[in-house]
Amino acid sequence: MEQQFTLTSEVRNDCLIITTTGYVNNVGGEKIAQEFSRHFEGGTKKVIVNLAQSKVVNSIGMSFLIDIVDQLNDVGGKMVFTDLDSAVDKMLSIMGLFQFAGKAKNVDDALASLASEK
Amino acid sequence: MKASTPKSSHAHRLLVQIESLQDGFRKLSKAATLTDLADKFATVLNRVFPNTETRVFHRSDHANQWQSLQLGGSDTGSLLPPNDVTYTSGFLDKASRSMCAVQNLVDRSYVGLVLTQQTGGTKYADDDVVSLRLFVQLFDNAYQSLLHRRKEKELVFALNHRVLQLNSLIDTGIEVSKLYQKTSPHQLALERAASLTNASKGLVRVAGKKGEKEETFFPVGERTRKVENPSHCITSTFKFGGKTYTFKLFEKESRHGILPFEETDQLLLDALTRQVHASLVNRYLHQQELEKQKMEREISVAAGIQQRILPEALPVIDGYDIAGINIPSKLVGGDYFDCIALPDGRYVLVMADVAGKGMPAALLVSSLHAYLSAYLETPMSLAELAGRLNKVICRTSTADKFITAFVAVLTPGTGEIEAVNAGHNPVYWLKNDATIQEIKASGVPFGMLDLDLPYTNEQIILSRGERVLLYTDGIPEATSEQNQLYESTVPLQEFLIRHKSYSADAFIKGLIDDIKKFTGDAPQSDDITALYLVRR
Repeated sequence: MEQQFTLTSEVRNDCLIITTTGYVNNVGGEKIAQEFSRHFEGGTKKVIVNLAQSKVVNSIGMSFLIDIVDQLNDVGGKMVFTDLDSAVDKMLSIMGLFQFAGKAKNVDDALASLASEK
Repeated sequence: MKASTPKSSHAHRLLVQIESLQDGFRKLSKAATLTDLADKFATVLNRVFPNTETRVFHRSDHANQWQSLQLGGSDTGSLLPPNDVTYTSGFLDKASRSMCAVQNLVDRSYVGLVLTQQTGGTKYADDDVVSLRLFVQLFDNAYQSLLHRRKEKELVFALNHRVLQLNSLIDTGIEVSKLYQKTSPHQLALERAASLTNASKGLVRVAGKKGEKEETFFPVGERTRKVENPSHCITSTFKFGGKTYTFKLFEKESRHGILPFEETDQLLLDALTRQVHASLVNRYLHQQELEKQKMEREISVAAGIQQRILPEALPVIDGYDIAGINIPSKLVGGDYFDCIALPDGRYVLVMADVAGKGMPAALLVSSLHAYLSAYLETPMSLAELAGRLNKVICRTSTADKFITAFVAVLTPGTGEIEAVNAGHNPVYWLKNDATIQEIKASGVPFGMLDLDLPYTNEQIILSRGERVLLYTDGIPEATSEQNQLYESTVPLQEFLIRHKSYSADAFIKGLIDDIKKFTGDAPQSDDITALYLVRR
């Protein structure tokens, strides 16, 4: 069963890697957005969101993720989701996130994919 | 270089303004937010009006104060647009160094532009005010475009969310109906229901009839507190297997706080709980089916065992007519009968009834048959045979399993019958004078007590024309549709007397027909077994 939301982040190869645990809802989405904004204002344009420990995402949480994707797209940045549970993968796909964001099997694959981007 | 005249400077400015209008709309149409729109708009205006400080204000309606839309700028000391709702544009000072335009926007809010010449700049002309009016209308168009794009985005999001809800409903239905999975159906449904309705938390309570309950919270660690507003909680309940399953969702989330749940949220929760209910019913039925199949396999094996134990045909005994029957109430019963020829010309008649039915009973019958056959190889008294059988059945069966049995040895030449009775029904001896004597020969059932209690022999001499009937309690206790016992309506002894002239085969057939007629369509409650011996 899903846990309460927590988040950790690190920067590797100029990429912000956000790793979440638990329900990505209003609280979770807001925390992700705050963490993103902190780095975005400092010039970070590549973001990886590792959802391995988040099996449940609601539409409010998704709206925060969409905002981040929009902001990154406006400045030519890129967001990649990794370690997606099949239900979350389908959810993000139906909500259209993958039209503007990428997905990768894991963080290493995402880093490699972002490294090849200009 | 030729100095520009005021006229050519004016024309140039107009040209810049026209170009800025065209370019401006392209830039403004990309704005994502009102603030972003204001920033982009200020940039456009600064190109048209150099040396100008541009401030963009907004108020949600005429009763509210103007708010600056630009980040970083201080409004302290800045001129504000007039509050007059009829105001459209004009100079804000006598020196014409500040001008303003106000536009009522499509959503009835207002945008106000205040342009102030910086130090060294020239005063604004009337044409500039006209231009500013055009630009503020451009802002209105761009704002409408922003609202439309935002609305469109919201509609697409809402539409996608509906598709997601439907899709997830189908997927969840498939997942909860899987018989083997890590997550229980109600946990899975709770997660999905919370996520699809944007509930911040939820719980499933499974309550038993005796007040015991098990609660599962989502997310784990959340504890729901009392909800003050009933619209901030939705519930769906069903009962199954003596338990009440209650699903509760709390606090529908939005980006702007908690909202009341909608009707569709309740429909969604109900649909998901119905899926869980159906899944539990299906699991129960599946389990029942598995148990039934297991029982049928057991019965099939036991039936095979019993088929080999029960006599295919009874021996022909010179001077005697003998017939028997066994009709199990299930496919396999716990009754056993036989007539075994001994090497010395005598015959052993056996009638037994195991407590219970199915596989365990069949195995015990099998044991009795095997031990009896083995012991008959060795000469011993009937009482000793019974004692040995009791001991061995005690050792090989559980305390609740025992066998009632009647074992007799017939010496055909003399008609002597020596019998022991291990707790079985008395055997009826129909004499030539049409009276019946019960052969009781009492003793404890085999396997009940391992206390070396003695078995008492009883001997009779069966004269010509006399008969004995061995049977199990399935005959007197055969039950009619009206729940009456066969024995209470048709005493077996009377039947025996009424049919004393019948051959053994005819008697058995007549008895079974009579029982079937009596029981009608009532299910057979016990095995029916009988062995009938007539001395000709």
